[in-house]
Amino acid sequence: MKRDMMRSNLFPLLFAFAFLFSPVFSASDLILAKVDRRIDLTSQIVRIATSLKVENTGSDVVSEILLSFPENHAKHLAYLKAIVSEGKGKAKTSSGVGLPVKAVQPNDVPPALTIYSVSLPKGLGKEHSLTLDVLAVFTHILQPFPEKINQGDVQLLLFQESAHYLSPYAVKAQSLTLKLPDARIESYSKLENAKLQGSELKYGPYENIPPFSYLPIVIHYENNLPFAVAKELVREIEISHWGNVQITEHYDIIHAGAQSKGEFSRLDYQTRPYLRGASAFRRLVAKLPPRAHSVYYRDEIGNISTSSLWGDSKKTELEIEPRYPMFGGWKTTFTIGYGLPLQDFLFGLDGKRFLNISFGAPIYELVIDTLFVKVVLPEGSKDISVSAPFPVKEWQETKISHLDIVGRPVVVLEKNNVVPEHNEHFQVYYKFNSLSMLREPFMLISGFFFLFIACIVYSHADISISKSSASYLAKLQWDEVQATTQLIHGIISRCLTAHDKLEASLHDLSRTGDVQACKATRKSVDSSLKELSKELKQPLTFLQSCPQAAQILPKVEELVTKERELQEKLVVKHTTVVDGYEKKSSGREIENRIASYQQKITALRREVDDLMDFIDEI
Amino acid sequence: MAPKPITSPVPDSWYPTLSVFTLAIGLVLTASFFIYEATSSRKTRSLVQELATGAVASVFLGFGSLFLLIACGVYV
Repeated sequence: MKRDMMRSNLFPLLFAFAFLFSPVFSASDLILAKVDRRIDLTSQIVRIATSLKVENTGSDVVSEILLSFPENHAKHLAYLKAIVSEGKGKAKTSSGVGLPVKAVQPNDVPPALTIYSVSLPKGLGKEHSLTLDVLAVFTHILQPFPEKINQGDVQLLLFQESAHYLSPYAVKAQSLTLKLPDARIESYSKLENAKLQGSELKYGPYENIPPFSYLPIVIHYENNLPFAVAKELVREIEISHWGNVQITEHYDIIHAGAQSKGEFSRLDYQTRPYLRGASAFRRLVAKLPPRAHSVYYRDEIGNISTSSLWGDSKKTELEIEPRYPMFGGWKTTFTIGYGLPLQDFLFGLDGKRFLNISFGAPIYELVIDTLFVKVVLPEGSKDISVSAPFPVKEWQETKISHLDIVGRPVVVLEKNNVVPEHNEHFQVYYKFNSLSMLREPFMLISGFFFLFIACIVYSHADISISKSSASYLAKLQWDEVQATTQLIHGIISRCLTAHDKLEASLHDLSRTGDVQACKATRKSVDSSLKELSKELKQPLTFLQSCPQAAQILPKVEELVTKERELQEKLVVKHTTVVDGYEKKSSGREIENRIASYQQKITALRREVDDLMDFIDEI
Repeated sequence: MAPKPITSPVPDSWYPTLSVFTLAIGLVLTASFFIYEATSSRKTRSLVQELATGAVASVFLGFGSLFLLIACGVYV
């Protein structure tokens, strides 16, 4: 049935064009002096490069040139670019910038034709000529014929074109070249001027052809190149100002060539993959930007290990192999992701920041039916605007991701029928305050701080239920006893520091002989010791009155008495030494005199230290 | 004015080292906070010291965990 449909597609068109020869369309005074067409049929994407030499024979200045496509081509048109090149021969210069092209529908052109109007940068005057290079890219235009093949069959394709350039203008001289893949050609329309040279098929030259001339040709040839079509591709580009542009691409790929029918034998495929699976493709190659890192390739099940990656300073190449060979009509979904260094893609200009990154997919010769490009900007971005080199549908969303409060603004761009020619850079401009970067660490810091606050509250809060129970009161008292013991410990340790000061002054005295300084130290130490013993009185009386402290009281009291004793001995020693110095006694004499004290002091000090350690542990 | 590339505040390769050091400092401070909580009694505890230790520790732990996330590839 399909076959019939295809035939019925072809022929009404011819009749449609037959009646077009009647001069319904009053062509302007333009004529095409020379038309060269090259059609590249080597992949699933058909590229028609046309070079038009336009001459103005009339007297009016012409500012636009019309390009026409038959309906069956126009609906597959994915990309159209027209470039003017001026001058002649080798001195040709072309700006490389496409001219504005828009679809128009003049009244006197039948609806079976789609007309695009190219606006020239400056009008074409009388008797002037220019050369226009037009690149038109078509997808889904090659029809597999037969539509269903077995595992071992090769894939045959059908392509229809007109041998004459379909144009609203008269064409003086023209030729057509079709570049076919290096494989068998089943058949082609054998017109008068047709010539097959290797894998190149030539039609023409034809001379003096009237406007809207259509001479159909059909080429039926073998092509086993991958027909990888992404039904839907979602590219998510996430910017982090901490140094990364993360790209995640979700592919939904189908082999859009001739449908596979019958059964699939893995054994046949494994033994002779190029014979028993010629129409299948087993790998895809993606060209990632240089310095891509953290590349992954996975699907819903998990990592797919059949991939390899290599790179140099210009590019990173990722070769991925789906889980199974892809035959006609078979589908697969997978995700690839990679990180890119921030400084290669994000720039600042006049207080604004902009992302400059390529639009299309990195996989070679991939046709994308619907492409969504989502640019996830950091939280706090404002005044977002997009500049794309071709029309795209655009809207905004928000996405909640790691450490977000209100969500990140997302710019979504949608485009249908995307081909590798659309891999041009686009820009997303936005405003961002660098202080907003501190939001994420601030969230983490406050999280930890709340944890600490919770601990503080817990340890400070009194969460006992019965405030009057004996055990609760005992616990309260015990807390008090503990606090008092610690206080006493603190006072005693300050006393011990004072003792150390006295010892140090004696040491200084033996070194310098400065009696006055020694006496001054003694005075200050005496007063501070007096002070400390006063301070000690109050907590000590509390401990004595408290029944809970009965256990530790003897130890504390012992400590206090030992400390007193130590203090007295030290004072006596100090006085003796100072007296000795004042009376100018010899060093040995003084040493003899304090020897007995010294021994006791050392013993006491050790005892006091032991007691201190004991109390500290309570 | 030509566009200027925007770089990260800290070179990417520093993140692992930075995270180790800031987390180490943060954990030491956290340890000292809990030691203080456990050893001091309710009467002798000082709220200012607790809050100060907690705040400094949380700053170090916050930045440390951020750098750890980034070093692991979770660019927040």
